[in-house]
Amino acid sequence: MNLKKVLSPDTVWVDLKADTKQGIIEEMIDRLLAAGKINDREAVLKAVLEREAKMSTGMQNGVAIPHGKSDAVTGLVAAIGLNKAGVNFDSMDGSPSTIFIMTISPTKRTGPHIQFLAEVSRLISQPAERDKLLAAKTHADIYETLTGK
Amino acid sequence: MQDAHAVTNAVVQHAGEAAVHMTESAGHSITHMMMLLIIQLAVIIIFAKIGGYLFQRFLKMPSVLGELASGMLIGPYALGGVINFPSIGILFSEHAGFAASTELYGIATLASIILLFLAGLETDLASFLRYSVVGSFVGLGGLFAAFILGDLCAVLWPGNGIDSFMDPAALFLGVISVATSVGITARILAEKRKMSSPEGVTILAGAVFDDVFGIISLAIVMGMAKVSMGSGVAWGPICLIALKAIGFFVIVTATGLIFSRKITAMIKRFKSKEIIVAICFGLALLLAGLAEMAGLAMIIGAYIMGLALSRTDLSHEIEHHLEGIYNILVPIFFCVMGMMVDFAAMKPVLIFGSVYSVLAIVSKVVGCGLPAYMMRFNVRGSLRIGLGMLPRGEVALIVAGIGLASGIIDQGIFGVAIMMTVVTTMLAPPLLVKSFEGGSGLRKEMAGVDIDVEVIELEFPSLDIAEFLLSRFIRALQAEEFFVHRLHTDQPTYRVLKDDISFTLIVDDNKLQVSVPTAHHHVARMILLEELLSLTDLLESSRQMKAVDEMGTDLMNGLFA
Repeated sequence: MNLKKVLSPDTVWVDLKADTKQGIIEEMIDRLLAAGKINDREAVLKAVLEREAKMSTGMQNGVAIPHGKSDAVTGLVAAIGLNKAGVNFDSMDGSPSTIFIMTISPTKRTGPHIQFLAEVSRLISQPAERDKLLAAKTHADIYETLTGK
Repeated sequence: MQDAHAVTNAVVQHAGEAAVHMTESAGHSITHMMMLLIIQLAVIIIFAKIGGYLFQRFLKMPSVLGELASGMLIGPYALGGVINFPSIGILFSEHAGFAASTELYGIATLASIILLFLAGLETDLASFLRYSVVGSFVGLGGLFAAFILGDLCAVLWPGNGIDSFMDPAALFLGVISVATSVGITARILAEKRKMSSPEGVTILAGAVFDDVFGIISLAIVMGMAKVSMGSGVAWGPICLIALKAIGFFVIVTATGLIFSRKITAMIKRFKSKEIIVAICFGLALLLAGLAEMAGLAMIIGAYIMGLALSRTDLSHEIEHHLEGIYNILVPIFFCVMGMMVDFAAMKPVLIFGSVYSVLAIVSKVVGCGLPAYMMRFNVRGSLRIGLGMLPRGEVALIVAGIGLASGIIDQGIFGVAIMMTVVTTMLAPPLLVKSFEGGSGLRKEMAGVDIDVEVIELEFPSLDIAEFLLSRFIRALQAEEFFVHRLHTDQPTYRVLKDDISFTLIVDDNKLQVSVPTAHHHVARMILLEELLSLTDLLESSRQMKAVDEMGTDLMNGLFA
């Protein structure tokens, strides 16, 4: 799957500031709003938080995948952010999360939505790729690491 | 006046009758020809299907043998040539030494193209590459042994007029005995639960090679036969033909594989599956025609088109949609092949046929068994592999049919080819079952073939819930634009495909099993998780539902008033 089709250089951030789970989610949604990728902040926030309420998306090895389905978007919206200090995201292994992959997908349209999340997860499940991502200094570094450009 | 009118009428009527009579006697009325064809097809389909059923049900033999036998029974050299129907005449008569009319042979040709197109589609190129080492040795060993022994048998047999290894008829007898029909073996392996045994994996991998190389060798022989028809052996043109055949195969297959995704992406714009499948079939026919134009056989083009599409996510859709037409047309092909068996012509070659059949058995058992023995199997394992590769079937019959139609082999040799196909196909199942008795077939207890497939298993409180989640999971996969295809098995089994991702879903009692290659388990796990979590929404909404007994009362209210 071509990650470039979904990711754009203005939705990858090396410098997430928030230090709480709720804060990270809100910050990412705010940045998506600023980048013009979404219009309805509250609807998207509600969708992501509803999904978090069912089961935390904090995975292992510092990876978290907050996501949700909402009709406030017409196509897959994706973002990747880093907070190298680590944030408590109620992760499965209890370790603080440093890499955040967020996707918002429309409820009614078909498309490789989960597949995108899975592809990125598969990529960063390899320790070498994860380290490369965490070593990113600029937004562009992240984009290059993930899309190979 | 009235009399004159009556006379005119009578004259006109008489003239009309004469005209009809003329066309009928000439036998060229197209309506009459079509009527005859349709009645022939009716008889063929009914007899072929019943024959196939009887063989399968009572003799536990592949239905193709029953279809062949039906053809022999109703053909021009048996009942079909004897029974004279009123106003139709002899139903199946010889046409210039050929058992089928042009129209009927046309339909049989179409059937052979469908058969090879689907064979190409079903080819598992991934395992072709994965088990390429062991598969190629077993496949090639069987191929060379079968080809050389088949050809030599024809050359060395006295009195058949074949005296050169390069004689077209000898080449054809060589190539006819090459193609293994692994379907029968696969069924037995599945029944005996040996499909994933080292022998099973090797047989299936070898059979893929056998298919691909069998088609290539047919391409070469077709070309050679055309060249050496005239004068003696001319190596220059023969090498050129061989190069052309291999070149056509490699270039067209490679181009097909490279562009198949782009082409299917283009075709997919039509959205309707019927249109997509029909266009793909049209492309198969086109490539079949082009292959014939390039001096190869039409079935080669059809096979290559199938091979090219086998790697796309459309392959199961095409198979699924062509299944109906396959089930009706392909038995016609085998039945027509049976009809072509001229028993009188076979009498003088009966002993030759027996020797040829025995050599066909020896060549595969030794040709496939020996490379297996040299690699990691013991005698028992090697024998199993050789016997597994024994049955010849569809392709042998098609090649023999092409040989007969093009006049390269005569009715007697054609009969010999049919005899060999029948003998090997009938002998393989009991021998294979017997050979799988006893211990391991590996030389030392070597580790089995490692398959890096991960099995995700979820157990639910009941079958109902497992099936419910399965249906949700399938829907979610379809929403992610995966193709989900149900296989024809008793246990609900699904193949899930998208681009290069493929995995299997099985419901086993109250368990849902997902077998997915490790490289793609992320996507399967994540989609499964989301569906599991969505069950909580469902539970929540079911709590908000009106009390069930209240709904029940509403439903039943007034029924017994």
